[in-house]
Amino acid sequence: MRFLPAGDLAVSVELGDEISREVNARVLALEYLIQQKGFPGVLETVPTFRSLLVYYDPFVVGYDELVASLTALIPEARADVLPHARRVEIPCCYGGELGFELDAAAAKIGLAADEMARLHASADYYVYFVGFTPGLPYMGGMPERLTIPRLETPRTKTPAGSVGIGGTQCCIYSVESPGGFWVLGRTPLRLYDPASPDPILLRAGDHVRFRPIDRAEFDSITAAVAAGTFRPRIEDGSVPPLPSGERAG
Amino acid sequence: MGSDGFIGVSIAWRPAWKLRGQAALILRPTLDAAGREDGRAMSSFVVHEAGPQTTVQDLGRPGYLRYGIPPSGPMDLAAFLLANRLVGNPDNAAALECTFSGPRLEMQGESILAVTGAEMRVTVNNLEVERWATVPVKAGDIVKLGAARRGVRAYVAFAGGIDVPLALGSRSTYLRGALGGVQGRPLEKGHAIGLLPPAVSTPPRRVKPELLPSYGDEVEVRVVLGPQADRFTREGIEAFLGGPYEMTGEMDRMGARLKGPVITHTRGHDIISDGIPRGGIQVVGEGQPIILLVDRQSTGGYTKVATVCSFDIGRVGQVKPGQRLRFRAITLAEAHALLREERRRLQEALP
Repeated sequence: MRFLPAGDLAVSVELGDEISREVNARVLALEYLIQQKGFPGVLETVPTFRSLLVYYDPFVVGYDELVASLTALIPEARADVLPHARRVEIPCCYGGELGFELDAAAAKIGLAADEMARLHASADYYVYFVGFTPGLPYMGGMPERLTIPRLETPRTKTPAGSVGIGGTQCCIYSVESPGGFWVLGRTPLRLYDPASPDPILLRAGDHVRFRPIDRAEFDSITAAVAAGTFRPRIEDGSVPPLPSGERAG
Repeated sequence: MGSDGFIGVSIAWRPAWKLRGQAALILRPTLDAAGREDGRAMSSFVVHEAGPQTTVQDLGRPGYLRYGIPPSGPMDLAAFLLANRLVGNPDNAAALECTFSGPRLEMQGESILAVTGAEMRVTVNNLEVERWATVPVKAGDIVKLGAARRGVRAYVAFAGGIDVPLALGSRSTYLRGALGGVQGRPLEKGHAIGLLPPAVSTPPRRVKPELLPSYGDEVEVRVVLGPQADRFTREGIEAFLGGPYEMTGEMDRMGARLKGPVITHTRGHDIISDGIPRGGIQVVGEGQPIILLVDRQSTGGYTKVATVCSFDIGRVGQVKPGQRLRFRAITLAEAHALLREERRRLQEALP
């Protein structure tokens, strides 16, 4: 456990040295406890793989006092304090012009394209945190067989909704941006919708399953999303925070 | 500018004002130029020329970094606050942030405005008016801000504040996320923008001259070392604090890329991605620093050698490309004492 000052208004609390569900669950638990207890002077928090960035008002709580309170709280920050996680279904159209790197990625790791898509859609993904661009999920839980080096030359434009993989991770590009992951498919859902009062689809701790859809369904969901009539399938409280013995990466 | 080596995504270095004009779709004015349902005459203005990048900003949008949405808000907080306080507004009222050069506006009603920040010549009907002071204007007046002689960003506050819809609790514009302000966009020619009714009547006043900032040739920026200062060599830290660094053209509300002495790492520039504080100074592969600012990415996978103190972020926002800055390390306790002093200074800036 380390406290790293990050300027005069924030401190980074590191709870471990590795990317694991176990360490990440403690980070999310610490954030949850801070929210539940209402920590005076804490303005906002940003969870990542193994650390929590805590923004504070030094006129309400001094650095030493904040560190002492957090130190006292950390032993309570265990996975079992977290409410059960949501399970979110993400429809995904694999291959073709939307999943324009599926064939190349499959060839790279020696699989048939449809087998790669099937394997990718078979897994239970875990959202470590959301960030970098608005609503972008950093996800683990991908089948080991799909481990793949990142693109050697990052592309300059990746369309929003692209489902990409690199290393052992999976992400969904939330806005159009450059990128170094292989794009296997695209979801018609908006992970970030600035026009919505609730603009972010996924949250830290969520579980994600991809449902393969064909191009016709992609187009019909896209139209429904644009019309504001599509409701994503989200099961609240369906997954315990950390199944015993699990340390999936 | 930004990139996260871990997940292999990056944000292209495209200073946002260069994006203007690409989206020809755009907005038509959405706000009424006059009258409200309560019958009270509302003031407003019409944009004749927008300037390179003029956005609506209030104090910002805290609480959404955990979803990847940055706080936005003014780059130069002190100048922004003084503009609002001059015209009698609450600190969180929305004002204009003008970049490099200002807009030309036509008033559609009377108001009181104040211009602070970068040295842009301000005229009303072609007559120069005082900056850092209240300026009464009436319907038909043409308000124009020229090119910045010193500094980069000027603020225009109107009594009552700018009336645009709240987006996630804030009127601040986040350009890359198309959120807040005038439909997530910079001001454009033809926009009609309403003003909220002023809560108090505003006496004529000006900021005390001894409290006006100077945008010097070489700017000192105070930093607290860390969070990853231990990932740099002693020589690397000395080079960083020795400087000077030159501001490059790659600077906008997201971040500012600098050029100068190489800051050497002990073992690579990648870390397990973590949160990026306001003013965090990332050092990427070539050993050059990038200061991350109000529209920054929420997280990133590069080492951060130091963090610019909150009270000096505004200075960074006023450094022109080609101008130099130098970093000075202070302790956290010193930073908190200086923050207190800065707050008192701002409280005493108006008569």
